[in-house]
Amino acid sequence: MNGTDARDCLELRRAIFLAGYRGGAAHLASCFSSVEILYTLYMKGVLDLGQWDSRERHDRFILSKGHAALALYAVLDRAGLIRPGRLQDYLKPGCRLGGEPRRGELEWVEATTGSLGHGLPTAVGLALAQKMDKTPYRTYVLLGDGECEEGSVWEAAAAAVSFSLDNLVAVLDCNGLQKTGTVPDIMKAVHWKEKWEAFGWTVRDADGHDPESIRECLLLEAEPGKPSLIIAHTVKGKGVSLMEGNPQWHYRLPNRKELKRFKEELGIAEGEVV
Amino acid sequence: MQRVCMGKLMELAQQDSRVLYLTADSGEGGLDRIFRMNFPGQSLEFGIAENGMIAAAAGLSMAGKIPFVYTAAPFLAYRSYEFIRNDICLQDMNVKILAPGSGLSVGQLGPTHHTTEDLSALRTLPGLLVLSPATPLQAAEAVRTAYGHSGPVYIRLGMTGEKEFYDDPYRMTVSGNDTLRGGKDAVAYTTGSILEEVMEAAELLGGDGISLKVVNVSILKPFASEALREDAARFKVIFAVEEHNIHGGLGSILAETAAYRGFPLRVYPIGLSDTFAEGYGTQKEVRKENGLDAASIRRKIREAL
Repeated sequence: MNGTDARDCLELRRAIFLAGYRGGAAHLASCFSSVEILYTLYMKGVLDLGQWDSRERHDRFILSKGHAALALYAVLDRAGLIRPGRLQDYLKPGCRLGGEPRRGELEWVEATTGSLGHGLPTAVGLALAQKMDKTPYRTYVLLGDGECEEGSVWEAAAAAVSFSLDNLVAVLDCNGLQKTGTVPDIMKAVHWKEKWEAFGWTVRDADGHDPESIRECLLLEAEPGKPSLIIAHTVKGKGVSLMEGNPQWHYRLPNRKELKRFKEELGIAEGEVV
Repeated sequence: MQRVCMGKLMELAQQDSRVLYLTADSGEGGLDRIFRMNFPGQSLEFGIAENGMIAAAAGLSMAGKIPFVYTAAPFLAYRSYEFIRNDICLQDMNVKILAPGSGLSVGQLGPTHHTTEDLSALRTLPGLLVLSPATPLQAAEAVRTAYGHSGPVYIRLGMTGEKEFYDDPYRMTVSGNDTLRGGKDAVAYTTGSILEEVMEAAELLGGDGISLKVVNVSILKPFASEALREDAARFKVIFAVEEHNIHGGLGSILAETAAYRGFPLRVYPIGLSDTFAEGYGTQKEVRKENGLDAASIRRKIREAL
């Protein structure tokens, strides 16, 4: 990772942590898993956004793994797409910025998610509309790997192929963890690449914490008629060693002792955590 | 009922290219093919996958389309409930849910294909307009009303062969309550295609010397309370006849409305008494087996008076 990307992504993790800690709750590990993916989409020239207020929005993005909401907000903030200071509204009473993305509460939040298995089929609808309107734009969606245990993901995977949605790009944040354990322990047979390919998707692999690797995959031309899946290999909780790969951190904040480690590893000064 | 809906939908599709027809392996035979032939760019087949279809309808609506989702009522109301809630209602999407085969209209296949708790489930969803046409003309009008309404709509439809009780041309009244038959001794409120049983029961009761007023409710949500208030003052009991569980459907709507608005009312429910329907056969046969045919309605009303 180059210096700028590394600095930006560290800043994002700091911002996510501080907003989450001050707010009193956050899916930090899910957020940290997705930082580089969201950063690459919004800040490395992948999404062609157009104007939020216009009906003629260009590319569309849906955060299907809604637990990473705070990561999305932080990226939108850093990209200058939302009002400065809006991130500090996170979980503040009356401020309308919550733990899962909700349409209408924040610009660029395309769809309300949080219940898993809704983002990909919704993205199918958006991509279909882009095709019907003969636009050159794409719809992107970020899925979790645990999320792919939901049946509706596979209904959408089939529909995307049956409608030849080569303008649909799904990124799979493949961190191997879900709330109560590892995805391989729970599913036994995982085989994402084979499953998605069998459904008719083009599948590519990326290092999910390397913006260049993700960007390269995202910008590849689609195979005509085929939707694309990028398996972004990630570590849940990436960036704070206590959290990395540990399912216990699915939905909790550090205690006083752990906080010291977070501050050290994220470079947070005394007084920044209120 | 389904036939006229398709006709109206084609009319709308012709006028407005944003109108789309989404199905889950559930088309209506010949008319369905005509739709596809005439509007290939406006019809989308999702296969047997209702949840994915509902969420995709939300996505299409986000992009300015007006999707009409069409598949058998139980698979929409029950299987796809959370998708209707989160994707359509919570995000206030301009999606129209056409639910044919509701009530006991698919009598031959038993309870998996009955839809007798959909109203209780769906009418609690904020922002959802709930329409329940009783006749072919009402069904076509419900489709037109849904198109004209910006926001989510559920249309509870029967199958085919419903009797007509309205004159053509027909326009839905603003209240959605129509008195189809005057009467001074008792009043029955009903909704959907069971109207024909209620009308027949009213005839039979007429022979018994009982004059039954019949009110057909085609807009269940929002429910207009004015007529009910008047009837509550005039009649000592209001019969609520529905092809639905007595919990949560029309009878509950009447009782709630009176209680919330503070006028006295006794509702006598005639529906499925917290049970799944028994038996197999035509809709009329299954109604009979479950006490919802004209003769049973007549008997229940006579006993209660």
